[in-house]
Amino acid sequence: MRRHKQWPLRPLLAYSFCSSAAERVSTSTAAAATAAFPLKHVTRSNFETTLNDLRALVKAADFVAIDLEMTGVTSAPWRDSLEFDRYDVRYLKVKDSAEKFAVVQFGVCPFRWDSRTQSFVSHPHNFFVFPRQELTFDPPAHEFLCQTTSMDFLAKYQFDFNTCIHEGISYLSRRQEEDASKRLETLYSEEGIDSSGETEDLKLVRLADVLFAERMKNMLNEWRTGLLHGGNVSSESPRISNGSTQSTETVFHHMRPALSLKGFTSHQLRVIISVLGKHFGDLVYLHSDDKSSCSQDFVVYTESESDKENLMKEAKDERKRVGERKIQSAIGFRQVIDLLASEKKLIVGHNCFLDIAHVYSKFVGPLPSTAEKFVASINSHFPYIVDTKILLNVNPMLHQRMKKSSTSLSSAFSSLCPQIEFSSRSSDSHLQQRLKIDVEVDNIRCSNWNAGGKHEAGYDAFMTGCIFAQACNHLGFDFTQHSQSDNLAHNEKLEKYINRLYLSWTRGDIIDLRTGHTNADNWRVSKFKYENIVLIWNFPRKLKAREIKECICKAFGSVSVISVYHIDDSAVFVLFKNSELVCDFLKLKRQLESSDGPVSVLHPLSKILEGGNTGAADYEAYKEICSSHISEILFSDQAETVGVKSRTRPDPQDETDRREESTVAVTHKASDLIDAFLANRVEVETATTN
Amino acid sequence: MQRRFLSSICATAGNSKTLNQGRWSVKQVKKSNFHVTLDKIRASIDSSDFIALSLQNTGSYAAAWHRVSAIDTPQTSYLKAKYAAERYQILQFALCPFSLQGSKLTVHPYNFHLFPRDELKCGMPSYSFSCQASRLTSMAREGFDFNTCIYEGISYLSRAQESASKFLSGNPILADPIAVSSSSPATVADTVFVGRIRSRVKNWRKSCVESSIKTGDDDLVSSLRRLVLGSEQYGSRLCLTIDVCSERQVQLILEMLTEFSEDVVPLLIASKSRGTQAVRTVFMSSKEDKDLFKRELQDLENKENRRVRGFREVIDLISSSQKPIISQNYLSDLTSIHAKFLGPLPANVDDFSSSLSSAFPNVVDLSQFMKEISPLSNISNLPAAMSSLNRFFAPVDVEVANQGSPVKLSESYQSHGQNAVMISQLFAKLRTIQKSDLSTEDFQALASDEHESSITSCSKNAGDENVKVWSKNSRRVSSENLVFIWGLAKKMTAANLKNALQKSHPVFAQEFDVKYLDKSCAIVVFWESGPSETFLSAVNNEEQLCGSLREMVAEGLRAAGYETYKKACRLGFWEADLAESLDKTLESSDTDPDTDSNPSEIDWSNDLAINFYEL
Repeated sequence: MRRHKQWPLRPLLAYSFCSSAAERVSTSTAAAATAAFPLKHVTRSNFETTLNDLRALVKAADFVAIDLEMTGVTSAPWRDSLEFDRYDVRYLKVKDSAEKFAVVQFGVCPFRWDSRTQSFVSHPHNFFVFPRQELTFDPPAHEFLCQTTSMDFLAKYQFDFNTCIHEGISYLSRRQEEDASKRLETLYSEEGIDSSGETEDLKLVRLADVLFAERMKNMLNEWRTGLLHGGNVSSESPRISNGSTQSTETVFHHMRPALSLKGFTSHQLRVIISVLGKHFGDLVYLHSDDKSSCSQDFVVYTESESDKENLMKEAKDERKRVGERKIQSAIGFRQVIDLLASEKKLIVGHNCFLDIAHVYSKFVGPLPSTAEKFVASINSHFPYIVDTKILLNVNPMLHQRMKKSSTSLSSAFSSLCPQIEFSSRSSDSHLQQRLKIDVEVDNIRCSNWNAGGKHEAGYDAFMTGCIFAQACNHLGFDFTQHSQSDNLAHNEKLEKYINRLYLSWTRGDIIDLRTGHTNADNWRVSKFKYENIVLIWNFPRKLKAREIKECICKAFGSVSVISVYHIDDSAVFVLFKNSELVCDFLKLKRQLESSDGPVSVLHPLSKILEGGNTGAADYEAYKEICSSHISEILFSDQAETVGVKSRTRPDPQDETDRREESTVAVTHKASDLIDAFLANRVEVETATTN
Repeated sequence: MQRRFLSSICATAGNSKTLNQGRWSVKQVKKSNFHVTLDKIRASIDSSDFIALSLQNTGSYAAAWHRVSAIDTPQTSYLKAKYAAERYQILQFALCPFSLQGSKLTVHPYNFHLFPRDELKCGMPSYSFSCQASRLTSMAREGFDFNTCIYEGISYLSRAQESASKFLSGNPILADPIAVSSSSPATVADTVFVGRIRSRVKNWRKSCVESSIKTGDDDLVSSLRRLVLGSEQYGSRLCLTIDVCSERQVQLILEMLTEFSEDVVPLLIASKSRGTQAVRTVFMSSKEDKDLFKRELQDLENKENRRVRGFREVIDLISSSQKPIISQNYLSDLTSIHAKFLGPLPANVDDFSSSLSSAFPNVVDLSQFMKEISPLSNISNLPAAMSSLNRFFAPVDVEVANQGSPVKLSESYQSHGQNAVMISQLFAKLRTIQKSDLSTEDFQALASDEHESSITSCSKNAGDENVKVWSKNSRRVSSENLVFIWGLAKKMTAANLKNALQKSHPVFAQEFDVKYLDKSCAIVVFWESGPSETFLSAVNNEEQLCGSLREMVAEGLRAAGYETYKKACRLGFWEADLAESLDKTLESSDTDPDTDSNPSEIDWSNDLAINFYEL
């Protein structure tokens, strides 16, 4: 098992902290050419101890880098980031991904500047996470999606699925914890009523029950008299059916004499309870769930009515405590997230909007329905987030330094931090000017390793942190000058980059977590006129984009369509020259569908409408389709399932009226989800008009 | 459990092996040894009379009410199974061909590790699948090796996917012989297009004929000629590629090419984004050459298909053997198999049955079989089911005929696939009991057409009422007499709810029963027809509302008949709470006629109803 792997002790000999940097480099180069990258693997067996150590490390850290491995990214091909995705649609797609897929590995790597050795010390942790259901009274069955290509990707990098599923740390989000506590509360407040009601219901009808009840009555009576008259009560009771699995034993339960019942069926226990209720006022049945062993059943003797009440209350409180403890332990990995949030450290990620969305949905609560609400909420949990991908692409100096190489994590790491990736070449004087970053795991410090082909969250988090530290160095950030009290997050050199994430990397859309407006200030902007877009699906499958463009151009003039873009095989976006054409197109489509005359057969659009199932709608319908929690593989199936059919038949009124009309129609018709969506849309609209 | 180990050596495979603790050694099949094992599997199937199978899925049902329960008709049961089959993935497929002679059971157990690999990068066999965390956890507890499964699982394509993948492999495809009758009338443009292509093909063919006659040309001249004519070669044959812009053009070209059918074979070149990119005409020097060429293409296609088909090869072997299949969870197993290996599941149960029986004509539902012998046994736990049969004297000697892989104690996963052996054992036992006890008429009837009758357990129609009532607690009720109620203001036990209802409306003066289906929704069962309608109209009619019922409705109580439930299943409103789904269904304006609108009968049994405290 990887988690038991002992990291090589050799570096202990190679390093003593007083040795100069140059010496250390040379010795380690010779010694540890093949040492694996030191990474602290954390599973549920070593989670508690690691968490305690991590608290101190995070507290002392200047920043914390994170990275996540998920079971998938897109629940359907069209859920990928597309050319015509407006920022709100893009958010819905990210939300869908974060809600459906599971996090299987969580890399956390605190970085601290060590002024003594003039280097950064990093502590890469690799947490295996699995949404195991720990609470038995927590009914919603947890389900997650796996994307086959992502699973293949993980397998390619030898991801250990066994460790993840067998040993992964489970978690509860804040919301789940609240819900579980509430459920626990109601469970115990109702308990009294329930049990009393049930005992009354039980009538002994079957002969076997009557006989059993009689036998129990005798047995309990004997035990009670023995108890009261101080006789030597035999601890074992072989009186009850020799050779059977049933046995009773006199024990003490909370300072009271009690009879422990073993080997009875739940039905027999119910009979015993009814016997107790009928014949023994001072004997109380108790059932306790120990956290260690399995459940136990007792009959307890009480001295008085008040004693009885006390006992019942004690038992109830204890069960509640056990329940609360269970909830506490079920929180699991969220404690790490709570730690990061409460320390308000600068969080560093690489292209991390999806990661942050996952963190929110797994550890805080359900993702808000709109990007605006998400931004408003995330800030209170993680006030400082920096994305290295933004840093590298937006800062001109760093952008140039990357020499146009890709800004993917691994290539950014090798072009910015060659001194770390190829530590054997660190005799190069040019590289020596770069930042030194050491790795410390379990108090063993090391600056030399062979990264291997591994692709684990802990290592990725480490790379992200290195890129960030080196980028700060290039920006002229002098770590030697700054003291512990200086917060990186408040540094003016970084200020422009903090809390800005790529909402969509391919389109360059940036979300600003402070204000909630994408592409604020002078960031890169990509704007389409979304109201000029029509969505067409379920047209004859063999039609290609070019043919569709030709058809529409024949009907509306050769310059009416700017471009046609495939969503998938079953659907296209058509970008018209202006929004009037959108309206005209939808109107014409409706007319052609309603008439069967020769005009509709000969009309150029008939090619698209062939088959009679072709749907078309404006851009708002696309957003509606994306907001659905259903994910059909084909976009046309999705559109049909979500039921946006109504939008294909616009009312023959002017544009604005039509919008409202169809909105109302949908509200009446479709699901709660769409209702929720519409409510949000109204908010967005008011927000934009303000 | 009676189990005798034979020391005798089986004649067919020559090695019988058993594990400690009464475990059978099961041949584990992965990607690496799949193709080697395939012939053995074929032999095993051929030499057996029955095939037992058992699947390990990544989930079964997402919410309590998604489980098939007593209140389900064949159609709603099927829809529930369909929903699960489409979402979850099969990770293990245990297959056990066996034969039974007297009390001797010869088994050939195999266990296949499956994992869908998107090798063509086109979302096949599956784009994504759902996992139930609790299911994976319990699999882990049983020692399931997820790494083996994901690293080494065998992939597959369903029959439907395989035919779709033809166009994606990039290999040229032999054009299907087309119907001469053109679908739409030829336009002027079509005529011009065809004329142009015809003359092009004519010229090219003429040059081909010439070049095949003039064999004296040296290489330089022939390559020059090719350059001038713009003709290419396909393998060693001359060919001409005609680019097309639409499927209509493909159709026209193929129609036109029938004129040249004796020495020109058209091939379709697929484009990356589905559809045809070009038509390639290949010149044949002779009739024999043409046959050879077609055979070559066919071989190429078969090879490619075999590669992408993967595990489905085994399904095809089972299907073509026509041997009876023994399944423990008929509906869930067979819907999964249909969805993953045959094609998309049809919308209703009758279509499913007919589609399934075309591939697997004989399927024995073991739980149905079990019910007929031992009505009170629960089949879901195989060892328990076995021991419940102990009261019958039915010795079964098990012999493992195929050699399992050598068992090492460290490799716990070797034990996977035991269930299929147990199923075959259970089946053997039931058969022995059935034959020894011929006094009951039912059993005689069953013996005469044993396998054929069992398939009806799924496809039995609403009108088919010949189902026995098994226990005193169970009665047959028409689905019309069921009312779903939800939206209760406070949590009540079924007994409390019954009391509350009794006080609320006169219809409850008659005998009725109340059960919770999940924590959000309860069902009221009337034993006679009529009161359900009265109650429903009372709840939905303001004038009739009065007293405590009015109060309950004001507090949020809602009620609906069985139709609403069926519609919720049909429309696919699989919310976590049944109440939520029923609400959505009532709101939905979908008025498509229900295909299965006749009232149907269900078995109402106290044992079968879900007690939500157990959930």
